[in-house]
Amino acid sequence: MKLVTYVVRRIALFVPTIVGVMTITFVLLAALPIQYQLIEHYGDPPRQDPCGYEPQCACASLHHDKETGNCNNPLYTRLVDRLHLNRPEVVQWGYYMYNSFTFNWGTVANNSQVASTYAFARGEPVAKFMGQMMPYTLELTVLSLLIILLIAIPLGNLSAVNRNRPIDQASRVVSFSGFAIPPFLLGSLVVFGVFYLLLPHTGYSVGTPWCPSHETLQYEIWGSWPQAGCYKGAVALSSNCPTWLTGCYLSHPTGFPTIDAAAHGLWWVSLDTLLRMILPALVIAYGSIAGLLRFVRNSMLEVMNLDYIRTARAKGVPERDVVNRHAGRNSLNVTVTVLGLTFAFFLGGFPVIEEVFRLEGIGRALALAVIPGSFDFGVIFGSTILFTYLVVTANIIVDVLYAYLDPRVRLG
Amino acid sequence: MADEAGPTDPTEPTSVAAPAVRRGRRPSPRIAQMKRTWYFLRRNTLAMIGLAVLVIIALVAVYASTTPISWVQMPFYCSANYGPDQTSSGWYNSTTGTNGPFNVSGDAGCDYICTYELTPPPNAAHFCNGLWYKIPFVVTKDCIQPSFASCPSYPATIPPTVNLHSGSTGPMPLGSLATSIDSTSAFFNLYNGMLRGSDWSLIISVAVVGVGAALGLLVGATAGFLGGAVDDALMRLVDIFLSIPVLLFVIVLISVITTTIHSVGLPGFSLLGHHFKPYVLINSTWTPLFTLIIGFAAVWWPFYARLIRGQVLVVREQKYIEAARANGAGKGRILLRHIIPNSVYPMFIQFSLDVGTIPLLIGGLVFLGFTNLFPSPYFPEWGAISAWSVFDIRSMLDSCALQCVIPWWQLFFPGLALFMYAVSVNLLSDGLRDALDPRLRR
Repeated sequence: MKLVTYVVRRIALFVPTIVGVMTITFVLLAALPIQYQLIEHYGDPPRQDPCGYEPQCACASLHHDKETGNCNNPLYTRLVDRLHLNRPEVVQWGYYMYNSFTFNWGTVANNSQVASTYAFARGEPVAKFMGQMMPYTLELTVLSLLIILLIAIPLGNLSAVNRNRPIDQASRVVSFSGFAIPPFLLGSLVVFGVFYLLLPHTGYSVGTPWCPSHETLQYEIWGSWPQAGCYKGAVALSSNCPTWLTGCYLSHPTGFPTIDAAAHGLWWVSLDTLLRMILPALVIAYGSIAGLLRFVRNSMLEVMNLDYIRTARAKGVPERDVVNRHAGRNSLNVTVTVLGLTFAFFLGGFPVIEEVFRLEGIGRALALAVIPGSFDFGVIFGSTILFTYLVVTANIIVDVLYAYLDPRVRLG
Repeated sequence: MADEAGPTDPTEPTSVAAPAVRRGRRPSPRIAQMKRTWYFLRRNTLAMIGLAVLVIIALVAVYASTTPISWVQMPFYCSANYGPDQTSSGWYNSTTGTNGPFNVSGDAGCDYICTYELTPPPNAAHFCNGLWYKIPFVVTKDCIQPSFASCPSYPATIPPTVNLHSGSTGPMPLGSLATSIDSTSAFFNLYNGMLRGSDWSLIISVAVVGVGAALGLLVGATAGFLGGAVDDALMRLVDIFLSIPVLLFVIVLISVITTTIHSVGLPGFSLLGHHFKPYVLINSTWTPLFTLIIGFAAVWWPFYARLIRGQVLVVREQKYIEAARANGAGKGRILLRHIIPNSVYPMFIQFSLDVGTIPLLIGGLVFLGFTNLFPSPYFPEWGAISAWSVFDIRSMLDSCALQCVIPWWQLFFPGLALFMYAVSVNLLSDGLRDALDPRLRR
């Protein structure tokens, strides 16, 4: 099979996969009683409505016509009509698929946890909200992947070369331990240690040196972003925007806090933003190194057993060159695959880490959206679509890259 | 025997053949392979350490599940009031006789503890105002009540210090490791919770991965064996499931199942004019656990399906499969007797690897606030316990960092248990992989 044919075939699978994922999400959420689907307009139905969980109660009991069984609440009927909830499920699915492919992902609910946490997002289109949350997650992803790469590849090679020697055992145990500590535990320990035990004794306060207005050091304050006073001469452009973007006070050409601040010449804000992400990135990296390290080590071991390595050694190539040039480069195939998939998964957000460090990324938004009793359907759908696009795209890129690097794959 | 073989490789024909001649009967090849695996595994120090820790944890779990500890020692729902609206109903205040939230400070009266078992364990304890009392229980229709009306009350203001008190139930070498009285999980006894958590963590993680692996085995083996259109269709399904965000899928699935069960109920049936609804299932302690297990397993199976399919594709081309076919074995027999037994080894490795991560994931979910995963918000599971401890410590650091004794042990012991569990599982599975893969042995 030619590479082009292979690529076309992989891309052709893009659409059915997305349709499948969306269908599963649709089926899951369509199984909920109707009042849950109208939750953004009715609030929490069981508490408001004395008749509880019965399906007809979606129509608030005041308006429920007991004789005909119809609902006379005009708000309700209008809503049901607008959301096509009175149409057959297949038609609903059709609308749903059409809207999901045209980026019409609905709006953030008015009274969900997401709306009360991110006031700026209330009633806004989900696609826009996702766009506002994405840059943070993206920066965190890139930073942690960099750390992982810088540690896992040299360490993996080292432990493959020194197989079963103390250095191998040590690196394996250390990376396993990262795998075995729950991220929320490690993250919390770091937060406790740094923000409660370490920093208070150094005389460092959150404000300094960026903004000397805060004198107390508290976790809550660390988690929130510098307020208006920290940007000298800046005036809030709007009260209805994400607080963590400098864009609240300055224009935000890219949406990435680090880049925007740098573009305005506010290097200290840029640095501050970066500093806030280093600790979480380290925690993420520590937890994920084990996975990559294992792949690097195993593929390196496999390559080191091949004949051409023996040939190279027999020809008198120095051991360092054998490891770095002959073996190292050829063991990268698997690493590329794992890295690509890790990247895609990371872009789905880090709900726990973002919660621990009070960061505002896509994972936290998703975790807020799925709190039982206050589902935010728009955000759930939106983030599922986004995540699916990311994973499927990454899968295709990885497959193509792999087929390019290793022609045997195409024949299979 | 591997011992007799000494330092030589028992895979070599000489060392295997020698005992075989003596016994007059060759061991079956599968037994021989197990012996070989064990031989190589035993030489791996790290794997042996992992195995030892796991055995200890398993022994603790067996002890915990066979010893009549009052296994909750935390408030529970009377089955009659059990419902999704967990915070405002479901509690019962025995003094006022009303349903209401559990009263932690204890000034309004005494809240009673029920256990999930319908008969109280012999040494069950009653928690009241931060202390444990050994008291008789009265078993009523729905729950178990203490037989006295009130318990001694606290002074009006509780000093912001940690009250170390020993749990008074059961054999308790670590009994003094109880939680602080003014923390959010005041009614939780750490020692008992961890003891109980040992078996729950093991059961939940093994059940989740087991159900997932069984499903994956079914799908993967079918796809790999039948090939063609079936293979394509099933693998696309696997791709689809792999593209759904894990956290989202688990939470939404569990929430949807729970909500649906509580709002529309399980499907009822009519018989002889009577309508039956399985209320027992709805109100059972096990329902949320089943939901949890099903939710996680639904996320887990695609990995196994993919793994098994790859292995089956290799195995089905082997000569012995051809031989079986030539002997007239049917498709079902070939699949069940020849292909599956020879392709499950990588699954075991993956299985042991995944078992260690489940409690960590559950802890993460609890940390994010999804406490309705469990039958009770204070369900003893290691991940969950450490998540509450993080909340406790964080709130104490925020409110009274200088005055309070920070209850580090609340976090340390469950965290250590989780860590030991996951690390040992990982070490063991890594050693297992090395032992099973001939290329990695030397």
